[in-house]
Amino acid sequence: MKNFLKLTNFELNRFSKIYITLIGLTLVMQTIGMILLSSSYMSDVEEQLAMGNSMEWITINLGTFSFSSLTRTFWFGGPIIIAIVTLLIYVFFIWYRDWFGKNTFIYRLLMIPTARINLFFAKASTIFLMVLGLISLQLVFILLENELLKILVSDAFREDQSLKQIIFNFDYMGVLYPNSIIQFFINYGIGFMAVFVTFTGILFERCYRLKGILFGILFAGVSLLIFISPILLQVTILNEFFYPIEIFILMAITGLVVISGSIWMSHYLLNKKIRV
Amino acid sequence: MIEVKDITKKFGRKKVLNGVSFTANKGEITCLIGINGVGKTTILNAIMNLTPINSGEVLIDGEKIHKESYEKITFIPDAITMLPQMRIADAMQFMADFYQSWNQVRADELLSFFKLDPNDRISSLSKGNTAKVNMLLGLALDVDYLLMDEPFSGIDIFSREQIADVFTSHLVEDRGVVITTHEISDIEHLIDKAVILNDGVVLREFNAEDVRENEGKSIIDVMREVYQA
Repeated sequence: MKNFLKLTNFELNRFSKIYITLIGLTLVMQTIGMILLSSSYMSDVEEQLAMGNSMEWITINLGTFSFSSLTRTFWFGGPIIIAIVTLLIYVFFIWYRDWFGKNTFIYRLLMIPTARINLFFAKASTIFLMVLGLISLQLVFILLENELLKILVSDAFREDQSLKQIIFNFDYMGVLYPNSIIQFFINYGIGFMAVFVTFTGILFERCYRLKGILFGILFAGVSLLIFISPILLQVTILNEFFYPIEIFILMAITGLVVISGSIWMSHYLLNKKIRV
Repeated sequence: MIEVKDITKKFGRKKVLNGVSFTANKGEITCLIGINGVGKTTILNAIMNLTPINSGEVLIDGEKIHKESYEKITFIPDAITMLPQMRIADAMQFMADFYQSWNQVRADELLSFFKLDPNDRISSLSKGNTAKVNMLLGLALDVDYLLMDEPFSGIDIFSREQIADVFTSHLVEDRGVVITTHEISDIEHLIDKAVILNDGVVLREFNAEDVRENEGKSIIDVMREVYQA
C-alpha cells in the first residue's frame, strides 16, 4: 500500500507540468473569452443606447448576456476539448514513455520491490485523479467566471444562471457533470473501466509487440461484449424481460467482471510476460 | 547462489538461448563472456524477470524471483535507468523511497569516490559520469547479488579505471557479482569464474584461478581455444 501511494505520488509529479499547463490554459482562455465576449456585447449595447434605443428594445433585439453566451464558444469548450484529448493521449503515454524515453525507466519500475500490479494501479489512479481534478476545478472556474460576468455586464442586460443551469444548458457538460449519483457512477464507471481495459491492451502490446496489438484489440472486444451482454440478451433472446433497474444492476456486475478480468490479466502479463 | 537452469529463449523464430545453465556464487565475480548478440543481456534480463523465458528456471538462493528478491539482487543495465530530468540527488531519493536495502552512507561514499555532484542533472552528465551514477545506484543497495551489463562499454579510460577499482574495493566484497562483457582485457584479473557463451549455449564454465594454476592459461587463452576450436 505504501509503495502504491509512493508510486502514485511519483506519477502525479511526472504529469504535474502538463497538468498545470492545462489548468492554466483553461482558466486563461475561459477568462479571456468572457472578457472579450462581454465587452463586445456591452459595446453593442452602448452603441444602441447612443442611438437612443431603450433598454427594453435592446434586450429584446440584442438579447441578454448570460453564461451560456460563453459556453457555446470555443473560448469555453476549446480548453475542455484540449484537456480531454491530452488525457486520452496520456492514457497511452503514461506507459510508453517508460519504454521509449532516453533512459529506459521501465527497468527501474519493474525492479522495485513491490507487487508489479501496483504500477498498473498507480498509473490508473493518476489518470483518475487528473480527470476528477480537472472536472472539479472546472466547476470552481465556472463559479469564478460567473462572478466576473457580474462585474463586466450590468444587471439590466444580464441573465443570471445558477451552476446547475449553466451545466444543463450545455449538452456535453451533462456527461461530465451527471444529474444524479447513479448517472455519475455510470459515466465515470464506464470511463474508468475503459482506462483499465486500454491499459491491459497496452500491456498486451508491450508483452507480445505486433501480435500483442491483435491480442489487445481482441481483449477489448471481448470486454465490451461481456459488458453489454445484458443489453444484447435483452433485445435478442429475452425479449425485454428485465426492468431497466435490473439491466443497470446486471451491467454493474458485468462491468465489475470486466474490471476484475482486466486487473487479473494485467497482473499476469506484468509478472510473467512483460519485457523491457 | 544464483542458479540458471537450462533456460531457453526465443525471439520470434530465432532461438537466442538454447539451454543455458550456470551458477554464480556469493563472494565471487562471475563473468559472462561472448560476442555481441550472443544473449548475455537476455540472460541478465531473465534472471531479473525482465523478460519471459520459454523453458528452464532461475533460482536465487533456491527460490524463484519474487518481489522481495529485488532487495537481495539488483541489476545495473548498460544504460542508466533513471529519468533524465532527475538530479543525482533525486535519483538517490527515489532509491531511498522504494528500497529498504538502500544504504545512504555507502551512496555518499560512492559520490565522493566517483567525484559526482548530487545537484547535477542526469541528462547533463557525460557518458562516463552517467555510467558512474548508474553504478552508484546499484552499489549503494545492500544486496547480496549484483548483475552488471557491460559496465565498461563506451566510456573513457579514466572512468573505466575508477569503475574497475570498485571491484577490488569493499564495495563489492562478499557479494556475488555477475558481469557481462565482450572486452575481457579490462577486468580479466578481477574475475573468479568465467562462463563462455556462443550460439545460445554455454561452451565452457570454469574457475579462472584453477585454469591459471593447473593449465597455466589465462581466460583469453581459454577463449581462443573455445572459439577457434
